[in-house]
Amino acid sequence: MKRTVPLIISFIVGLVMVGEFFIPHYKYRAVTSELLEWGLILAAGAFILGLVNLVQVNLPVVIQKKEDWGYKLVMLITLVVTLLIGIYSGTGRQDDGEHYKWLFDYMFVPLNATMFALLAFYIASAAFRAFRARNLEATLLLAAAILVMLARVPIGEAIPVVGDYLPKVMNWIMDVPNIAGRRAIFIGAALGAVSTGLRVILGLERSHLGGE
Amino acid sequence: MYQFLKRFQSLDRRWVFLGMAISIVLPMLFPVHFPTKVDERVQSLYDRLEELEPGDKVFVSADFDPASRPELEPFFRANLHHMFSRDVDIVIGSLWPFAPPLVTPMIEDLAAQHGAVYGEDYAFLGFKMGNELAIKMIGDDIIKAFPVDSRENVTADLPIMNGIRQAQDFELIMSVSAGFPGTKEYVLQIQGQYNLEIASSTTAVSTPDYVPFYKAGQLFGLAGGMPGSAHYEQLVYEDYPVEGVRMMATQALDVLNLGHLYIIILIVFGNIAFFLTREVEE
Amino acid sequence: MITLPLTTTGFGIVPLTAEVMTLSNLAGVWVSIFLTLAIFSFLYEDNPIYKLAEHIFLGISIAIGATEIYFGVFKPNLIDKLAEGRLLSIIPLMLLVMLLLKVTKKLDYMAKVPIAFIVAAFAGVKLTGEANANLMTQVAQTMPDLPAVYEEHGIWSWDADGAGVFSSIFLVLGLCACLLHFYFSARQTKSMAVVSKVGIIVLMLSFGASFGYTVMGRISLAIGRAQELLGLDKPPIEMTIGAGGDPINRMSLVRMMSLTTLIIIIVFLAVWQKKRNHQED
Repeated sequence: MKRTVPLIISFIVGLVMVGEFFIPHYKYRAVTSELLEWGLILAAGAFILGLVNLVQVNLPVVIQKKEDWGYKLVMLITLVVTLLIGIYSGTGRQDDGEHYKWLFDYMFVPLNATMFALLAFYIASAAFRAFRARNLEATLLLAAAILVMLARVPIGEAIPVVGDYLPKVMNWIMDVPNIAGRRAIFIGAALGAVSTGLRVILGLERSHLGGE
Repeated sequence: MYQFLKRFQSLDRRWVFLGMAISIVLPMLFPVHFPTKVDERVQSLYDRLEELEPGDKVFVSADFDPASRPELEPFFRANLHHMFSRDVDIVIGSLWPFAPPLVTPMIEDLAAQHGAVYGEDYAFLGFKMGNELAIKMIGDDIIKAFPVDSRENVTADLPIMNGIRQAQDFELIMSVSAGFPGTKEYVLQIQGQYNLEIASSTTAVSTPDYVPFYKAGQLFGLAGGMPGSAHYEQLVYEDYPVEGVRMMATQALDVLNLGHLYIIILIVFGNIAFFLTREVEE
Repeated sequence: MITLPLTTTGFGIVPLTAEVMTLSNLAGVWVSIFLTLAIFSFLYEDNPIYKLAEHIFLGISIAIGATEIYFGVFKPNLIDKLAEGRLLSIIPLMLLVMLLLKVTKKLDYMAKVPIAFIVAAFAGVKLTGEANANLMTQVAQTMPDLPAVYEEHGIWSWDADGAGVFSSIFLVLGLCACLLHFYFSARQTKSMAVVSKVGIIVLMLSFGASFGYTVMGRISLAIGRAQELLGLDKPPIEMTIGAGGDPINRMSLVRMMSLTTLIIIIVFLAVWQKKRNHQED
């Protein structure tokens, strides 16, 4: 029973969603629109589940004063304060002078942006230490990479003689071998997605439902 | 020589980081500008937008966050400026939770510059979670997906939403996308089903993935990464100049020159050292 | 606001007007610079300043996400509809409650129903999307109209970036070679090995292009941060701290703040490193 009901729901919902692509009738679309809206709400609920889980995991660490409990406390305080300010500020939370806007502009933006900016340095380190032309395939990969890096920036086009042809060769790489490789991956992924989707709808794939 | 090359290969990575930092900061302090040719995919995007008539309605999906701001904000601003200059009505929505606080000031800034009236010339519907499901809803029934806009006005009551119920009621869709969900999901979920015209501005990382969509005709234009944004900026501000405009992507492209050269030098010297030491060991 | 004469800068012609920067904004710029450099300090070594910034990031990002989700989804699509008396909205509310019961030990089995709903909804939507856009359209577009291509570009056209009959055939054969390479369970005969090798070569060219673009993307992100730290993200206008203060160039102010913060962090790291070495001894 614990599994049967979810499997039946999987089948009905999955089938209705597949049918949405083929049946343009407005009454059918009204049903699918409603189901899609429920899906949006549940997807949002999954995020909230993550938030609750985060608190569940970190609060005991703070209470029991385990390792790094001070940092966890800072995290939880930041979370609660920002959430309260955001909800309390309401629709006007993004107006100038609002605390929520201050937190977003001066704390979240630099933190988010800088976390990803670190990658530029790691890619430089990887380029120096790990990218070796050990065989034909690796050499081709590096050659294509170097060509793209040179051709995509203005300095590449400014190189005498070669500069006129670099962007053309780069565009050829993007338009021919890149598309060949990507399409092969897309086709393979699409076949996988279709088969997995069918398995979920037909109840053959049950791993997301867990144990009994 | 062998010992030097061996030590060179195991150079502390913090020196490499420092070199990267210098290659970014130096061209900012001492800029050297090189001209660049506009990419055909960006030209195609620009030309299609030039065909828009006053009163045409366009949906812009602003799906980026602060991390992808350097690549996409210049395009987003130039795109809004382009469409406002052509009196096109713009409806903006987002699938990323961190986008609304980021793009709201940009939208209001550009709307104020053009004297655009909220609800008539433009509207920001806010954020909707759900990835593919949200996109499907935008395709099926955008009013149901966004019952109220970001200012909690009833979406159906906005004058700009007159005659708009589904994605296909828009003239075209502009996807400013930093990843998932974004352009790919728009193409997969609703482009084919409703035969929509979609263009994309995306990060450099995603650009090779979207070239097949462009070549297959599923996207009518593609501005990839910083160069894409820079090319689009050049086209827009040449035809629709703004006094004192900051072409951030064009300036950043000059910084990329040295950054790329640095990476190329690292790869080349790293490989030279590797092969020479391997020869000695053999 | 004081209006000063126009001048040319790296940003084009900009009217220099002295804007008033409030203490809140000034504090914000300091905090922004500190947090940026705190994250960058990880490049030296994992340290307490970085850990602090990382945990603040975690807390604030989840809170902002939850806030936007509340105003973007829960309020308009659920709460407001329930408040209007729409009975059908009770079903998603029930499903949501069942989903949230996953955090409990006794009633976590109730979450299977909403999870089944959402997984099936995504599966159904993705199935048709992938089959239509990735399978059918991409395959259809791969097949070239060779006579038309020959008429337009000939065998090879430099002006059209290498378009032509050669490239069209290369694309089709390359795609087939890649697909056959992915057929891992096929018997590895000599001809299959050759086809597989061609497929790998095509994939390497594709991944090389990807890598080149990835490098560009990553450096672009670092450029964005550097622009903010050097005050190049906004025009170099004159500012006053609070009303009635002496005007100061914004760019210079930001650079001074960045340098000061960098020195403070370096000193902190040096002291922390010394303490750690001392403890290890």
